[in-house]
Amino acid sequence: MSRVIATYNIKGGVGKTSAAVNLAYLAARDGHRTLLWDLDPQAASTYLFRIRPKLKGGSRRLVEARSEVGELIKGTDFPRLELLPADFSYRHMDLALDHFKHPTRRLARVLAPLQDEYDFIFLDCPPSISLVSESVFETADALLVPIIPATLSSRTFDQLSRLVGQVRDGGPQVLAFFSMVDVRKSLHREVMARVRAAYPGLMLGASVPSADEVERMGEERTVVEEMAPGGRASLAYQALWWDVRRRLRTQ
Amino acid sequence: MDDEELLPPPGMSGTAAIRALADALTPDALTLAETRFAETVRVYLDTFDGRLGAAGLAAVHTRDQPGSPSGRLAVVDAATGAEQAGQPWPTGDGPLLAVELEPGPARAALLPIVDVRALLALAELDVQATAFAVRDDLGKTVARIALEHARMRATGEALAARLRLQGVRGYDRETARIAGRARELGFTVARRPLVEDAVVADGGSPGGTSSKVGVELLANQRSDAAAAAVLRRLLEVIEANLDGSIADLDAEFLHDLRVAVRRSRAVLRELKTVFPPRELGHFRAELKWLQGITGPARDHDVYVLEFDAMRELVPAGIRDDLDPVMRVLKDRRELAHRTMVRELRSERMMRLRREWDAFLEELVAAPLDERPQAQQAIGELAGMRIAKVYRRIRKMGRAIGPDSPAEEYHEIRKKGKELRYLLELFGTPLFGAETVKPMIKSLKSLQDVLGRHQDREVQQATLRGIAEQVSGMPGRTAALMAMGVLLEHLGQDEIATRGEFAEQFAEFTSKERRAQVKDVFA
Repeated sequence: MSRVIATYNIKGGVGKTSAAVNLAYLAARDGHRTLLWDLDPQAASTYLFRIRPKLKGGSRRLVEARSEVGELIKGTDFPRLELLPADFSYRHMDLALDHFKHPTRRLARVLAPLQDEYDFIFLDCPPSISLVSESVFETADALLVPIIPATLSSRTFDQLSRLVGQVRDGGPQVLAFFSMVDVRKSLHREVMARVRAAYPGLMLGASVPSADEVERMGEERTVVEEMAPGGRASLAYQALWWDVRRRLRTQ
Repeated sequence: MDDEELLPPPGMSGTAAIRALADALTPDALTLAETRFAETVRVYLDTFDGRLGAAGLAAVHTRDQPGSPSGRLAVVDAATGAEQAGQPWPTGDGPLLAVELEPGPARAALLPIVDVRALLALAELDVQATAFAVRDDLGKTVARIALEHARMRATGEALAARLRLQGVRGYDRETARIAGRARELGFTVARRPLVEDAVVADGGSPGGTSSKVGVELLANQRSDAAAAAVLRRLLEVIEANLDGSIADLDAEFLHDLRVAVRRSRAVLRELKTVFPPRELGHFRAELKWLQGITGPARDHDVYVLEFDAMRELVPAGIRDDLDPVMRVLKDRRELAHRTMVRELRSERMMRLRREWDAFLEELVAAPLDERPQAQQAIGELAGMRIAKVYRRIRKMGRAIGPDSPAEEYHEIRKKGKELRYLLELFGTPLFGAETVKPMIKSLKSLQDVLGRHQDREVQQATLRGIAEQVSGMPGRTAALMAMGVLLEHLGQDEIATRGEFAEQFAEFTSKERRAQVKDVFA
């Protein structure tokens, strides 16, 4: 059985794709068979792996399970790490899902045949509240939520509370981490301390700094570990991966 | 798309082949980039009987340098070299038992196939491998090519350069295109895996050494000729397993050797009227001796191999208390092996091998006056014997009850083995596998129950026998108490097998089986 981890936040530009790509890479490097599903029509993680964002038949065909999902998967340049690419048509995925009687169960149905093929499945989610995100809540074992400690603290709190509320009992485990952290800023340090105090079980200890390497990923089209091994960002993602694995509920 | 191993066109070097392929791929907007170069020592391993090869696999141990302490053990597809599982494996010297590997993917892949058999080195190569990535216009790797130059480590003899083409998931079209371009350039798909090239270059023959008998017989063949053919093959099996038994590479060598001896003795006993009586007596005695001197070593192999299963019989909390028992058994096993090795290297053993071979060679030419059935058709004689032994077992079994002494169960088991050997050695080639199979299957179920009965009996006796020695060791009190629990379970299981025997015996002697024996053999 694979464990499904979704990087999720309503807001864009908070480091979801970076987390999904780098953690999936580390999982594969640890020897786990790993799949990354790029659900975002902007196709950022697909682009990072130099794969063409195109699915035969688009999202419609995929969620209708009319084609073997395995035939759409592409190997990345890294051993054991494979990608289910994004497609421009994902922007209409809500519509495609809405056709079904139980629309929120569709993503799980798509992934079902892959359960024995992968140890970890990462979902890189689009920023929104939609049928797609509801489907992700139904499918994922854990939601990994990046939070920038720069936003007004009250909004950060709201966002987290809403999310925890949305995830009903038996839903995915919510794990949040601070992203794009600049420890030189006192605002960041304050927000981090207050959020940690308010949500002791929720916040992961590891956080990802705001670093050049992370921004350069898009240009170099690779993961930080390949680009700047041993750098600040690379160490941060390793710590984050360690922390996530440690905290994942055992099934 | 499956991986492929390609050979460059005749006369073209590996390096030139790569260059030619790179040029040919330019119109397809595919580029070749070298990603890695490595010189390694590669050792191919398989079991003595070639189990991995038979499964289309090979075990490969790779080291950076000869004698380098770091290394990796991988299970690869023999035809394409594609890795299926791998893990670090530092040592790489001497025989390798899968069960002794650290838990890991390679161990998990190997164990179900090789079981207790040791992995032995088949061939040792020096390999220069250059890895290339084939990239598309986005710089994405769509396939990988490994160019390998291998030399026999011992002789320096070069084997043909190979290009291994590995696809990347989701890029089948590109891989097919590369394979197509290679074919246009005159590349051919390698007929034989590299490991087999290496084994052949080493003067060996791929496939391992089988302990199967499989001698083909004709129903109207003279019985003495048929018996001699089967016995000579059995002698080959004994010879093939002798060195491995002496070197103690794994427990299977001795086991196969002993089965061959036991089968030989069964043939002598069941077809005794085709042999001259004086020699028959001599070789029966000598083979009995051989069986005897190898018995204790085999028994102790079994104790050690089955110790874990035996541990499972006692509650989890006291399993570790049995550790002193294992230590005693291992010591005794060592001793039994040393004693056996002395005998296997003795003059008596040499003489037996020599004389037995010569005797079988000349059997057909020996005078016929004291061998009344030597010229009888083997189809007739073997059928008669099979029917007779079957009836004998039936008679013995009917006299056995749940309270009979263990000795009687043991006797019927020995007779059952004899029948099984007759069926396998003569029944299958003469009456057809399809006819004989259901009988062997029924017999096997019966023998399994009897075997377990015997094992339990022997295990109890062994435990009682070593109690004295354990009582002088640290942790003795707990060990002796755990042994008591174990004895209790073994005794109960022995009683259970007696009930199961009745059931299996009823099947084995059902009306249907009896009719079959009568129709086919009598």
